[in-house]
Amino acid sequence: MKYDLFLRYGPALLRGFGVSLLCWIVGSLGGALLGFVIACLYRWSAWPVRWILQAYIEVIRGTPFMIQLFVLYYGGPYAGLVLSPIQSGIVSFVVYGSPYFAEIFRSGFEAIPKGQLEAARAIGIGEFAILRRIMLPQMMVLITAPLTNFVIILSKETAILSVVTVPELLYETQTMAAETFTFVEPFLALSLFYWLLVVVTAELGRRVETYAMRHLRRSASAT
Amino acid sequence: MTADPSQSAVEPIMTVRGLSKWFDDFQALDDISLDVNRSEVLCLIGPSGSGKSTLLRCLNFLERYQAGEVRKEGRLIGWQEGSASPRKPLRPAALREQRRHIGMVFQQFNLWPHFTARQNVAEALIQVQRLGRDEAYSRAEAALDKVNLGDKANNYPSGLSGGQQQRVAIARAIAMEPDIMLFDEPTSALDPELVGEVLAVMKQMAAEGMTMVVVTHEMGFAAHVADRVGFLESGRLVTCRPPADIFGSEPSDPRLRSFLQTYRERNVV
Amino acid sequence: MDFSFDVILRNMPYLLAGARWTLVLSLTGISLSVVLGVFICAARISAKGLLRRAAAVYISAFRGIPLLVQLLLFYYLLPEIGLDLPALAAAILAIGMCSAAYVAEILRGALQSIPAGQTEAAEALGIPPVALWRRILVPQALRLGLPSLVNELILLVKVSSLASVVGIGELTRVAQNITGQTYRPLEIYLAAAAVYFVINFTLSQLGRMAERRLRLD
Ligand SMILES: Nc1ncnc2c1ncn2[C@@H]1O[C@H](COP(=O)(O)OP(=O)(O)OP(=O)(O)O)[C@@H](O)[C@H]1O
Ligand SMILES: [Mg+2]
Repeated sequence: MKYDLFLRYGPALLRGFGVSLLCWIVGSLGGALLGFVIACLYRWSAWPVRWILQAYIEVIRGTPFMIQLFVLYYGGPYAGLVLSPIQSGIVSFVVYGSPYFAEIFRSGFEAIPKGQLEAARAIGIGEFAILRRIMLPQMMVLITAPLTNFVIILSKETAILSVVTVPELLYETQTMAAETFTFVEPFLALSLFYWLLVVVTAELGRRVETYAMRHLRRSASAT
Repeated sequence: MTADPSQSAVEPIMTVRGLSKWFDDFQALDDISLDVNRSEVLCLIGPSGSGKSTLLRCLNFLERYQAGEVRKEGRLIGWQEGSASPRKPLRPAALREQRRHIGMVFQQFNLWPHFTARQNVAEALIQVQRLGRDEAYSRAEAALDKVNLGDKANNYPSGLSGGQQQRVAIARAIAMEPDIMLFDEPTSALDPELVGEVLAVMKQMAAEGMTMVVVTHEMGFAAHVADRVGFLESGRLVTCRPPADIFGSEPSDPRLRSFLQTYRERNVV
Repeated sequence: MDFSFDVILRNMPYLLAGARWTLVLSLTGISLSVVLGVFICAARISAKGLLRRAAAVYISAFRGIPLLVQLLLFYYLLPEIGLDLPALAAAILAIGMCSAAYVAEILRGALQSIPAGQTEAAEALGIPPVALWRRILVPQALRLGLPSLVNELILLVKVSSLASVVGIGELTRVAQNITGQTYRPLEIYLAAAAVYFVINFTLSQLGRMAERRLRLD
């Protein structure tokens, strides 16, 4: 092992890791938000809107992330949209993730029995309050696991951003490898980084799931 | 029809001696001894959880028993002969060799849904007896004829009624020409109107001299077809006698009496 | 902005030629991953603790590291340990081995939904384990897992675009090359996206058809 190399390139690698985290977190949050909006629109609008949303979902899910990134980053300027590598990375993340998030939220909506909603409407609770107070808390139990899963998938997709020169972890690692002619150590370190990220996220997801299920446990022990 | 076990001419094909079985701390079978004679129909009855299935499954070593012996024609089933405790199980190939001569029919049929009736019956002939496909298929068809399903050979299990599925399962077992057949509540998963067709097939097999051990809640079958009936209670074989002694006069054993009592009440209502 | 369909039409033959390699990558990838996945799944549920742990490590490693990183590792690292693979082999191996981790889990889920009684019936008849797996468990698991396996194949069509990074002339790489000559990235990449979409849409329809035909009732 060439520890001195890691000392020399450590700061760059850490910065790269920071950029990866930034793109991942902002991209995931944005994607989840957009996905949520899509799922809500889908639920509460008429068929033409639904049809368009469905087409959007199919098209985005039917094409590779890398191509979407290329369309935005290389093609964008020709359509008057000039973005920095990091900006286009984040935007394409938001777009790429949104249909998957939308599907997860949609399945959550569908899992709530209609009777509950009718009961709420019958006593005059507004639609927004129904969504916030009745649907979301129950959905959380069901969708935490798929959400965690997908967020983990997204964390690994950040590596693809290196292809459009976003200075994220893989990019910095490749730079280091090229400049020092060492390959094994940097890449094994990189793999470790990602693996850690995945393990930590999975654990976080489990905690959130336990938290979301607390009302189920209480009622179970009460009976 | 009722063979008297006290007569010395009968020859046991299977002997159970001091059989005990634990699931962790729970003792499911407690010191069971029992003979199954050649060409005999032995029915096992008893309340739910008394260990009937467990006993049956020990006979072909689907369950490992910890104490005692199960022997078929003198050979110890499942464990290596003479191995010190803890006993060593037989090598898988040797165990399979024992099992192919012991047929088993399950409550839930357990047919393979991606095979037709004919393929279900032929599979073991091909994989275990190493028959060619054509011969296996013609023997499968013969077995299906025996259970009156010659015309359903091409049906998948999903295209058969419960009673028909169970008869395919019986054909699957008899095609291997076993020396003894084990039935675990073969009619319990069936709608009442389908029970008869399965029992009729089993009756026919009994008449042809097949040795059968049948766990059942069908008291009529036990009374009319069995040579002997064993009554299990809390893992113990309380009694094992000809059906006339069990169902005829008021039985002397209080546990058997109360079991039959509840059974009659349930069926009158 | 002048969007030119003409550029797309003129370059479509090249894109389609690239799409052929995309299909080669994803189809060989899925074949490899199904075969490997069966064994990993068997190890994952085996009675032997060591096998189980090894399979768990495999699954966790290949699912925990980005495929692009795995691809680069196969491409650059294997030569360093004396295994000089051509780029195409490295790409197929990386895609197949990574996908196998997912396929193993798909098959495990499918296997768990096969009633245990079917295995008991086979054991009671004396059917040996190899035949039990080959004839009874695997065919049913593949059938039950078919929708997920088709999804996995569609996923592979998409991730095969990563192979462009190690120079395989598949759809994405061809699009990059054309862009380098025509300076029309918007048109070309949109066209490539359309080709990907058509492939995946077709696959999902085929999958649905196969699912209907394989149903047993
Ligand atoms: N795999 C197992 N693990 C733990 N306990 C078991 C297991 N299988 C059976 N038992 C227990 O052993 C006892 C006997 O079970 P068994 O299935 O043999 O009863 P049974 O007489 O066949 O009942 P039934 O008429 O309901 O089929 C029961 O108390 C059951 O709970
Ligand atoms: Mg039972």
